[in-house]
Parts: sequence; structure tokens; C-alpha cells
Amino acid sequence: MIVRLELLRLVRSRRPWIAAATVAFFLLLMLAGFYLYAENETGGAAEFRYTFENRSYFNGLTFALYSFYFGFLLVLPVFGALEGAAQIAGDASSGRLYLLLSRPLSRARLFAAKLVLSGTQILVLTGVLMGAGMLLGLVAVGWGSLDLYPGVLQMTDRHVHLGQDVALLRFLCAWPAATLALSVPLTLGFWISTFGRSPLNAAGLAVALYLVLYVVSEIHFFEDLRPWLFTSSMTFWRGLFRPDPEWGYLAREAAKLLGFALLFGTLALGRFRRREER
Amino acid sequence: MDEGGNTRGDALVRARGLGYRYGSRTALHDVDLELGPGEIVGLAGPNGSGKTTLLKLLAGFLRPAEGELLVLGRRPFRDAPRMLRDVRFAFAPPALLERLTAREHLRHLPAIGGPRPEPREIAATLSAVGLEERADESVAGFSFGMRQRLSLAQALLPRPRLLVLDEPNDGLDPLAVLELRALLLRLRDEEGMSVLLSSHLLLELGELVDRLLVLAEGETLFYGPPARLTGARAGVRLVVSDAGAALARLRARGLEVRAAAGGELELPPESLSLGEAHALLRDLGLESYRLHRPGLEEALLELLRARAGEGECP
Repeated sequence: MIVRLELLRLVRSRRPWIAAATVAFFLLLMLAGFYLYAENETGGAAEFRYTFENRSYFNGLTFALYSFYFGFLLVLPVFGALEGAAQIAGDASSGRLYLLLSRPLSRARLFAAKLVLSGTQILVLTGVLMGAGMLLGLVAVGWGSLDLYPGVLQMTDRHVHLGQDVALLRFLCAWPAATLALSVPLTLGFWISTFGRSPLNAAGLAVALYLVLYVVSEIHFFEDLRPWLFTSSMTFWRGLFRPDPEWGYLAREAAKLLGFALLFGTLALGRFRRREER
Repeated sequence: MDEGGNTRGDALVRARGLGYRYGSRTALHDVDLELGPGEIVGLAGPNGSGKTTLLKLLAGFLRPAEGELLVLGRRPFRDAPRMLRDVRFAFAPPALLERLTAREHLRHLPAIGGPRPEPREIAATLSAVGLEERADESVAGFSFGMRQRLSLAQALLPRPRLLVLDEPNDGLDPLAVLELRALLLRLRDEEGMSVLLSSHLLLELGELVDRLLVLAEGETLFYGPPARLTGARAGVRLVVSDAGAALARLRARGLEVRAAAGGELELPPESLSLGEAHALLRDLGLESYRLHRPGLEEALLELLRARAGEGECP
């Protein structure tokens, strides 16, 4: 029953709609960017030139993949961290945690309900970003085969060609894989939110921590740290868009991210169960 | 309950030497409390006296730093879910689920760890707190008083053995205060429900409770039937023109006397007979005297003043 109640609260809240609106705005911005670039392209940025030299490279699937990649890097982890951080601290600051915890309900069940629902929300949001990007790409540009070239996105180190059917299947696989990666900032946000009663502080700290770790994982200077950072594995799902995915690598990276998610989730639950509600 | 105000039989709440600290600050120290079946116990004290801390300990939100606390035979912090099957809380200020309606609150909250209430039960409870006409409105538009009513309503479904209310009268209009009193008395008399409520409205507590626990700075200032508190403060009030001179002369006669409110002097009732009082009137130039039994508010105020060193302890 707590799941039903939390679902009702989530559906009635503004958070999912704000997230969806942000995703829609982001996609429109990406589309405008692609068109503006194409119009103004006069031999500027070398990496992107591949995309526009031949219109067949730039189709709806390319747009969807690039949009998803950028959205995944910037928008979704922030929403994941925010969503996690809003859960415990948000209810604590408003006093609603008293209301829920004064019912015959274990803290573990309340925690699980919140985690499952926010995880589902991230899954849906990830699907919305990917699906809406593909739909927009289909309507605005049209689908076709997926051609990728080495470039600034570091999606590939050589030309990749995937037929439309294969590419759509890879998109489908990338959805849960990306959601798994996003579960780490989500559970990190949960963990941080169990330390205080201010959702703003928790959200700020969770997002800041994620961004710092992400930047650290991208800087060559910290190369030795990369294996120990979850942020260095976040975009592992890009491996699905190789002609022959390295399944072993994908499984290892997925296991690493799952391990981090379980670690943060366990720490959050342990902290929440021992925490005093002052 | 016996004559001394002690609980008979199995206590629903049993606290012995209970204490809690927020860091280095002691919020509660050495508090005893018992609440038996069908009893109403009041919790009073100034702001920061430890009332809410005590209620949070009862709810299992806090872990006692000292002493022992059992609610329905269970330790709240360790075993809250099972304990809470038969205990309901309404905390202040009332925190509600903003985008849900009043009816949805009563449909979904009681179903957490319990049976889903029947629509007629929900309707009856909404009616009991006077919210039937606003039942399907989002609580985001509710006034503070309406939130208080809904907070109470959610605590009544399903019926608990022990109801704990934190400042339930706050924000209620006078009629609603009377209705709440009638409701609590009916729940006690007809259903044997036990109630623990904290309130700043001492007049209301005096009308309602079997026993009163008064806290000040986290410690027990008084624990017992309210009549014992007011009775202990009863005395003979002397109305005098020169309080200072009269006080000195009375003390010179070996009488235990203290300054009371309004420039009057007060003696314990057993300290002088009627004849002696008349003699005092003649000898000391007293204007009048009367037997004075203070109300709960006055008695509590004097108790607090005595604790703060502004008067003498009883």
C-alpha cells in the first residue's frame, strides 16, 4: 500500500512533469542546434563536419543518439541525483516523514518503495528522452541506417555502420543499460539525503559530488583513479553501438555500476534505519 | 487508577527514568510516565520543556539516551512497526500529503500496514471532525484548523488503543475545541481508548485529563491528577495595604507566608485557624482574607516561578 500511496504522490507532484518538460526543451534545443549548424556550416568545427558532409550520415537515428548522449551526460544524472536527494530529506523537512513513519511500516519498506518508484521514474524519463528523440528525429529528419564516425563524442574510433533494424535493437538495449548507470547517482542522492533534513542541501551536494567525480573521471591527470570511479563507467552503454559489442566489457561495466548502486543503496538504507527523526 | 493517580493493571505506556539529549543539551531527564487503558493523560509545560521530544520518543523517532520506555510492551525505536499497529499519532504542526484530498488521506494512510478502511468508516470519520463537505478537496487549500482536523481524523483510522495528540487544539475555533473534547471523552468512555495529549491550553487539559505531566527544561515538575496540583497550591490569601510590613510581621510570628500575585500574601490553609485569621485582621491591619484555590494555569505558573527561583517551592 505504501507503493500505491507514493505513486499517487509522485503522479500528483510536479516533479515528473518538470522533468518531462526539461527533456522536451532539451530535444528541441538539440534539433535547433543541428539545423542552425547545418545552415551556418562553412567549414568550422572539423568533427561535426562528418555529420553534414553527407546528409545520409545525419538522420533521425543519429540525432536521437547524439541527443540521448548529451542528455545522458548532462540532464539525466542531475535529475537522478535530485530525485534521490528529494526523497528522505524532502519528507523530513516537510514533516511528512513523521506522518508516514507513525504508521505500522518498517523503514526498510518505506525506503524500498521510494527507491523503486524513483528508479521507475528514472527508467521512464530515460525512455522518454530516447523515444522522444527518435520520434523527433523520424518526423524532422527521417530514419535510415546509423553511421557514426570518430569525433568529439568519442562514440567510436572508426566508421561504424549499423542497419536500421540493428540500430533500433541497440537503442532498446541501451535504455535499461543507461538506466542502470543512472541508478548510481540516484542512490548516491538517496544516501546523501539520509544525512540531513534539507532537500536543497542534499540535492546540491549530490549534484556537486556527481559533477566533481565526472570531471575527475574525464581528466587525464586522474587516470589512475578512473577504475575506482563510477562516473568513468557511466557511458558504458555506448559500447552497444559498435558493430560487434564487447559483451564482456559491457557486463563488467554494468556489474561495476550495479555494485556502486547497491553500495550506495545499502549505505542509505542502513543510515535511514538508524537515523533519529528529530 | 488509584487515589494517588497511579495506573492499575497493564500500562500501555511505561517510562522509567527516561532521558534524551540533543548533542550536549539535555532535552529530557529522568521522566516517569504511566498510561493505563482508558486513561487520558495530559502533557504540559513551556516551550522547549521536552513535550515534543517525549512524543517523538513514544513514536520511535528517537532512541532514548537513558531510562526505559515501553509502549504496548515494546521498545518504540527498535520495534516501531509492530507497536504502531495499535498506536496513532497526530503531530504538530500537522503535516499532510499536499496534493491528496482529505478522503484520499483516510483511504490510503490507514491502509499502510492495516486493512483498507470501508467508505462508510471514512465518511463517518470525516463527519466526526467536521470535514465531510471538504472531503474531496486537495488539502493544499486547507486552513490550519482544517489540517488539524484531518490530522486527527487520520489518527482515528483504524481505531487505535492509544491515541497520541500533539497540540490538537492549535488553530481550532472554540466550538471545535469543545467538539474535540467531547470526541476524546466519548472515545475513552465508549471505546476504552487511551489518550496522551500535549497542549498549551491548560484550562482544556484540566477539563479532560485524568493525570497531568508537567515538564520544565526536560524534567518532571509535576505528575499526578490536576486536582492535586491546584489543591497543593490552595491557601489563605491576605489582602493588605502594606505587603512588605505585613510579610515581616507574619514571618516574625513564625508563619510560613509568601508573596502572591497582585501584592497579596498567601499562607498555607492549615497554617492558621479562622479565629487566628480574624485576630490577624485586627492586629496587622489586614483589609480582608479569603480561601484561594488557583486554577490550573495559575498553579502551573506558580510552579514554574518557584522552579525559576521567583517564589518558594510548595
